[in-house]
Amino acid sequence: MAFFYVSSFLGLQTLGKYHLFWPAPRFQQLFAIIFRLHNREHVKSFITTSQSAVPVDPNTTHMLSTKTRSERRDGEKREGMARGDTSSPHPFSLFSAGAAKRRSKNQEEPFMISKRNGIQPPEKPLSVEEWEELREEFKAVSKFEYVMLEQMIKYNSSIDVAKSLLSMVATRKGDISYNLLVKYLALCIKQEQLAEVFDVFDIIKLRFKTLEPGAYSLLIKGLSGSDRWREALLLLEEIKKVMTPSKANYGDCIKGALNNQEINLAYELYHEMLAKELIPNLDTLQAFFDTGKCVKDDQLKSELLGILLYLRENQIYPGETLMQSIKLWFESIPGEKWKGYITTITNSGKCPVCNQHLETIHLNEEEYNILKAKIIKDVIQGTDVFRKTTPQELEEFRNFVENHPPYDIVIDGLNVAKVSNRRSESQTLLDVVSHLAQKNLRLLVLGRKHMLTGSPNWKRPIVAATQKKADFFFAENVSEDDPFLLYATLHSGNHCKFLTRDLLRDHKACLPDNLTRHLFFKWQRGHQMVLSHYWPGKRIKFQPIPTYDTVVQTTGDTWHIPYDEQLVERYSYEVPTKWLCLQRK
Amino acid sequence: MITVWTHHLKMMFFNMLLRNIVRHSVFPVAMQKGTKKDLFLTTPQKPFPCRTLILSPTPKKQFSSNPTEKLDLDGWKNVMKSGMQEEVSETSESEKDSTLAATRELVEMWRLAGVFVPENISEEELKTLMECSTKSSKKKYLKFLACKEKLKKASKAKQEKRREAKMERLEKAKENGTSEMKNTFLLKFWSRSFDKVYNWRTAQAMIFGQPLVFDMAYENYMSRREMENTVNQLMETEGWNRRAVDPFHLHYCNLKVDSPYHKEFVKRYGEAWDNLLVTVTEQSHTDVFPRDKLIYLTADSPNVMKTFEHDKIYIVGSMVDRSIQTGLSLAHAKRLKLTTQRLPLERYLQWEMGAKNLTIDQMIRILLTLKDTGDWMEALKFVPKRKYKAFSDESVYSKYKTNTQSRTKIFEFNGSQERVKNPFASSRNSLQRQKKLVGN
Repeated sequence: MAFFYVSSFLGLQTLGKYHLFWPAPRFQQLFAIIFRLHNREHVKSFITTSQSAVPVDPNTTHMLSTKTRSERRDGEKREGMARGDTSSPHPFSLFSAGAAKRRSKNQEEPFMISKRNGIQPPEKPLSVEEWEELREEFKAVSKFEYVMLEQMIKYNSSIDVAKSLLSMVATRKGDISYNLLVKYLALCIKQEQLAEVFDVFDIIKLRFKTLEPGAYSLLIKGLSGSDRWREALLLLEEIKKVMTPSKANYGDCIKGALNNQEINLAYELYHEMLAKELIPNLDTLQAFFDTGKCVKDDQLKSELLGILLYLRENQIYPGETLMQSIKLWFESIPGEKWKGYITTITNSGKCPVCNQHLETIHLNEEEYNILKAKIIKDVIQGTDVFRKTTPQELEEFRNFVENHPPYDIVIDGLNVAKVSNRRSESQTLLDVVSHLAQKNLRLLVLGRKHMLTGSPNWKRPIVAATQKKADFFFAENVSEDDPFLLYATLHSGNHCKFLTRDLLRDHKACLPDNLTRHLFFKWQRGHQMVLSHYWPGKRIKFQPIPTYDTVVQTTGDTWHIPYDEQLVERYSYEVPTKWLCLQRK
Repeated sequence: MITVWTHHLKMMFFNMLLRNIVRHSVFPVAMQKGTKKDLFLTTPQKPFPCRTLILSPTPKKQFSSNPTEKLDLDGWKNVMKSGMQEEVSETSESEKDSTLAATRELVEMWRLAGVFVPENISEEELKTLMECSTKSSKKKYLKFLACKEKLKKASKAKQEKRREAKMERLEKAKENGTSEMKNTFLLKFWSRSFDKVYNWRTAQAMIFGQPLVFDMAYENYMSRREMENTVNQLMETEGWNRRAVDPFHLHYCNLKVDSPYHKEFVKRYGEAWDNLLVTVTEQSHTDVFPRDKLIYLTADSPNVMKTFEHDKIYIVGSMVDRSIQTGLSLAHAKRLKLTTQRLPLERYLQWEMGAKNLTIDQMIRILLTLKDTGDWMEALKFVPKRKYKAFSDESVYSKYKTNTQSRTKIFEFNGSQERVKNPFASSRNSLQRQKKLVGN
């Protein structure tokens, strides 16, 4: 919403210029990089690449990387509409996993070429002299050995090559510096060369009294998978002396303990990391479920169910592999005949496998009141009422809402108006409002005062016609209208919905604690209407609002677990669409 | 060489000596051999005698069938094992606190790992470092310290160089026997006399000049470092103002005595703080000046500044916000119901990138130039070059002008609350007008 406002009064003016001038320097820049890179190698290769670089049409680079925001909006909308027509398997939906990724797919950044990528590690171990020669060749690269080791990690070279490089360093300097050793260690761990890890560990232990967290993390990772896993725990203690260990550190230690059937120790570590407010990695949790398979142990079972409840409380969604582990664990519990199915839930919130209704997305009375109070306090008023509105205006709006009966839908007028670029803004708004008014709904439209001045985009007669069908509130031009949208919707009661395409993330971020943010997101999913199809004059369609909450849930005899599909990239404001349904026969 | 290495394995206590030998003897020999054999280097796979420079202690490996084993791959481990334990931390007596010592060790190890850290770190800085909660914040703080140290060192080195050059010059002059003072017909201007002139001008401005207010009310919105940066910028600002042809009368309003802000000023200026030709007050600018004369300059304002008005009092919010806090100064202006304006940056510059907020010293230079010349082109040269591509040419400018006229009308800040009271009044009017039109 804020974006629209800005673009309307200064963005559009500059957009044209931006389009004209931007691609050229960008193109030059790319060219310059290619030039520099190949210039260093051979003249011949430089010529070929320069030839291949010349025909690149500046427009294509432009298409790839310089989409401005408004363009993106159009692209996204067009995509949405086209999809609706061809009835593709992925309906446009704001909160379903992968939607944002799909929208942004056609504007990925071109691959950047950096100086270091020019160095390729040799395929076979080299002698000291050969290394020296190579070193001479790359004189321009400072820290040659370090960069070379980094490239070896990238290309996953054989450790013999790395060893020969270290031999060269040892011959040259009589010593190998710490950072090279750590890089070598990283390479060994990547290739799981346990014997080498031990050797380097012994050397480092001999030479240095303490290490830094980077090396500790690598060693923990390397040692926890071996029979010297207990030493990893000691290293974890070392890290604790200077800072909180990372969740990966804990995860590695837990896996080490679980591999060696030290289940109590693993749970101790698990609870310790939760106490430090670290969110465990999914593969750590998976290790728990994998170990618990086919084991009859009531305490273990309750711990594992505790993990599932932890996922529920923190709105964490397992990935596909963890889901499989959970499924297998349930099916392996001796004496309880669990069976798991993979499914998608219909919009009505009914599981097609077990015919059970999922938890509703609507907040209960208490949650609703908490959220309402928090939104008024933290989102609308914030640290300074004047930043988003003025006290007078807020009071005015409160009176306005108080003196009108509760609304069914609150519309973010300026957001809706900008949906189409084929029609004038006021006409779009009128179309949408009349469509909703036909259904006999009480509507409130929020706008800004500039809509009343009769500008070409907001023709007076059209605005007046819209005003007949809905109540209007016009905020100051310098005020934000989203907080009013939230306030009016919350005030009208649980049945009231709001219509905007805005994801409201900046308002969510104003909320102080995780719990309220989760409540807000749940409420938002259950109450936000999004215009998915708009053909001027023909068709107006809204995205369906889910009636069920997407969260891990149980009734005792069933479990429903939403999970992330492997290939779908889910953004933080989206929820998974796939479910695991577990039921006890 | 072989003897050297067997010795090396047998007599571990000659470590240090041998390391020197490795450093000083083996390497050049190897290089020599390498260069001698250069001519034969046709196939890289061809084994050379010099490749088995370092003999492996395990002869079994030597004879394995693997061709790469001709190169000794594990010799470096012995070199490493024979080295002494690195004395990384010189724990001083004062650091009895074990966590403090651990943090110092951490810094040393980070240095070895290639993280950008300062060479010397004081105990106070170490304590600040310990308070940084995450790894990345620790690293960022260390980077900041390292940059600071590097700059300091560079300027010291420069100073030293200059001093040496001067000494040399004097020395030379002495040698040549021209130890007398340089003879010139020009009168020497001492910097003291410059200061006098500047101070005189500033004092004059304090009586007759146009006031310029810096609003210091943003203390609570800034971190410690941002506040220090602000003071830094204000010091520079005062300097630019003092050296201007026609300085402003600077007012630091809302500056509470003994607030961290005030303390920082006193710390940075020292005794000069009391002699500074600036009006410092705890009062708000609205208490000092008539409200209708005040204009708040903020990048978030909907109104564009057209000309510099010499009878108005401009207010600049003195705040550094590294993470941009949109609308903060506008909120202050709204609360006090002051007129707001922003610089016409889009009108004169082809904006390239970056936020449209400017630093305080850039602001004063723009305002001083505007005051002297009234020329926007000249004044806006102080906007950082990276932010814009070029100045707009006249044709674009005139096109913009026609556009802005309708726009400024739309986005005028509506000070009166009358229209808010009845948001539908105007729309009703328009309805009636519409009806009339239809009737006609």
